[in-house]
Amino acid sequence: MWATNLKILGVVLGTLALYTLIANKIPQVQSEVPHALTLGADVTPEQLVQAGEQVFTGIGGCTTCHGLGTRAPNLLTDEKGQGPIGARCGKRESGKDCKAYLYESLTQPRAFVVQGYEPIMPDMGRTLSPQQIWAVIAYLESQGGTVDVSGADIPAAAGPTPGAGPGNAGAGGLAGGSTDPMAIIHAAGCIGCHKIGAEGAAIGPDLTHVGGRLNAAGIREAILLPDAKVTKGFEKFAGIMPKTFGQQLSANQFEALVAFLAAHK
Amino acid sequence: MIDAVHFLQAATDSIPAYRDFPLIGSRAAVWIAAEIHLMFAAFVLGVPMFAVVAEAIGIFGKDQRYDRLAKEFTRLLLIAYSATAIWGAVLVFLLATLYSKLWAYLTTIFGVSMWVYVSIFFFESFTLYLYYYGWDRWKYGRAKWGHWGLGILLNLWGTLVMFIADSWLTYMMTPPRDITPDTAPGSIKLWHAMMNHTWMPINIHRLIGNVVFGGAIVGAYASYRFLAAKTDEERAHYDWMGYVGNFIAISALIVLPFAGYWLGREIYQYDQSMGITMMGGFMSWLWVIQAFLIAVLFLTGNYYLWVGMGRIPGAERFRPYTKWLLVVLVLGAIVWGTPHTMIADSRELAAMGGSHHPFLGALGVMSAKNTAVNLMILTTFLSFLLYRRANTRPVVPWARTGTMIQGGMFGIAAAIVLFFGIRGYFVEAIVRIGYSVYQVGAVLSCIVFVTIIDVMMGRGAQSLGAIQWGKMPPRSQYALFILAVTFTWLMGLMGFARSGIRQHWHVWQVLQDTTKYAATPALGQAAIMISVCVLIFLSLVGFIFWLGGLAEKSTFVPAGPAAPTGKEGGHVGH
Repeated sequence: MWATNLKILGVVLGTLALYTLIANKIPQVQSEVPHALTLGADVTPEQLVQAGEQVFTGIGGCTTCHGLGTRAPNLLTDEKGQGPIGARCGKRESGKDCKAYLYESLTQPRAFVVQGYEPIMPDMGRTLSPQQIWAVIAYLESQGGTVDVSGADIPAAAGPTPGAGPGNAGAGGLAGGSTDPMAIIHAAGCIGCHKIGAEGAAIGPDLTHVGGRLNAAGIREAILLPDAKVTKGFEKFAGIMPKTFGQQLSANQFEALVAFLAAHK
Repeated sequence: MIDAVHFLQAATDSIPAYRDFPLIGSRAAVWIAAEIHLMFAAFVLGVPMFAVVAEAIGIFGKDQRYDRLAKEFTRLLLIAYSATAIWGAVLVFLLATLYSKLWAYLTTIFGVSMWVYVSIFFFESFTLYLYYYGWDRWKYGRAKWGHWGLGILLNLWGTLVMFIADSWLTYMMTPPRDITPDTAPGSIKLWHAMMNHTWMPINIHRLIGNVVFGGAIVGAYASYRFLAAKTDEERAHYDWMGYVGNFIAISALIVLPFAGYWLGREIYQYDQSMGITMMGGFMSWLWVIQAFLIAVLFLTGNYYLWVGMGRIPGAERFRPYTKWLLVVLVLGAIVWGTPHTMIADSRELAAMGGSHHPFLGALGVMSAKNTAVNLMILTTFLSFLLYRRANTRPVVPWARTGTMIQGGMFGIAAAIVLFFGIRGYFVEAIVRIGYSVYQVGAVLSCIVFVTIIDVMMGRGAQSLGAIQWGKMPPRSQYALFILAVTFTWLMGLMGFARSGIRQHWHVWQVLQDTTKYAATPALGQAAIMISVCVLIFLSLVGFIFWLGGLAEKSTFVPAGPAAPTGKEGGHVGH
């Protein structure tokens, strides 16, 4: 019986050793804890690109989709003769230079979706710090283009929140602090997902008659805690809407927006 | 006195959020305790399910073999229950002392459910004692029905206990969206926390997984007893028991991916970035390892059946087909194991033209993988069918037509799987995902209808000879050990995937892990931890098997020529 026991032990240990060996032979990737990236005003383009590459291939998880070519455009290789992303980013959206386009793609990914792809990209402003986002932009610009991100673009640690971007981050909130509801809606990128009148996309619920479905309190909650109650039929898009508008909008803007939407019955 | 109270209060307030564990660290300590507790728990929840089914077959079919099998399953449970409780206590103490802040957070939300959990565990344990120790007392007539009712009650308690514990861990993965780092844990309603996104998918996935796991461990137990058997009678019994364990494990395994698919979909719906981390991020290679392990399971399970056909008169006519079944299984395993995304640096990615390998990339996509796994399931089912028909020859007048219809069903199912597999390359992802439903539907329909025809065709079939239970070469029994080790390891790997996607969060995006162990380890390190856990678990299970053997000896001794024959001692295999 001892011989049988030894054989059983051999089979068990051999099987365990085989699996352990195989798991150690494949590429080893550890999921690191994101560290705050400290980039001062005097940061050089080279430092930004280097930091951006680490985020892009590491904690950003960008290569998961941008590299396959099936889920999302490959950013590091040529696409339809337009070159890598740094070369083509300025031509994607009319009226947007490379830097603005990349910033929008990272923080409001549904504002413009490249034809032929699904709107699956999450808002990176929820997971990356502003420094990390700007570093990624610099890295992407370096792929066939010119790096024009500088220390001036990067907000200080206590500065604007991740969602605040170039051209729309004022001291009083989005859209330069304007209380014009449509200006806020455009600046916040609401129409990237929601339809209002003739404008917008159908990823989120149509807001044209939102006042008929929700009262002012309900609209407030839907903006501040977008996933607390998910509209029927849109469950699969739960989690997409940023939860940062409470920080991005000033109190006046927020109430102006709520009143505007509540009046659309 | 007041000073003393203040001192105690100050001491309580200064309890650190974390403590470290000597030598291996706090994370490894909790990992080992949780993993081994879970393995024992899966065993003690899975085995009662088919113990109660085996007892029912014994009652309705008036076949004492099944009753004895059910009792033997249950005997294993007694000691395994103690081990489950011990490791559960170890886990609780480690969590409370090493992760005090997390423990306080969880108990604030789930405290009431923990009291309920303990109460149900108490009832469950005593139901088990009644179920086992009352076996021979309540063996006949209405008392037997009452005894079977105890078995059902045991399963009910077990399921409730698991559902409650699942709510704690699924809350850590997918806390309701309105809960933020600023939400006071005392303000969170218990039911709200329990009803999180992944609670029910995990419950169902674990229910099925426990059956698979229990079947595999019972199979290993039977093979151990087979190898240690001293009489043909023992060998026959444990050969049969091993077959039943393997049959249960592989049958339930075929259903498990659908529950896994539901769980994965819920994770994606809850948080896309979490889903992407799981399937395409730093964990993407984990699925390649998983594919390898499942390929081992399919190959070993089929190998066991093919070897088993050697003890079935009439099976030799099917032997030539097994090499073709092997070819399909190996090709399927290769395709399924092809990586989807290559981990590479930017230069390598640019050189490769993307994360896909230029040649192998076509095999690494879901169209190819779904096709491969569905064909592997069909092949395994065909192996079962050949095994089942090996010693019979149908005598119904429509036998030839029936066999042709069965063949046609296999052909149509395979054609549907291949058609949608190929078509999947030419459509958008959202359409392609829907194709997997047609593929799975075709395979399941084939399994159901072919089985119905086979059962009808088997009525009054001519026997080519009884199965020679016990006449199995030892290598077949080692195959059962490989199955048990692989199932256990796979369970550890999937546990790592489920827990690891939280990354550096105790509670996803609510409570952050700020220890030095917060980074989620790479697969290599995780594999070492899994192997250590499996080794400890199997060593303890081996000890339990040995104890089971000590208790069983008295059953078999009477069957010898020098001893009187007892009620159960007279049993001989088939």
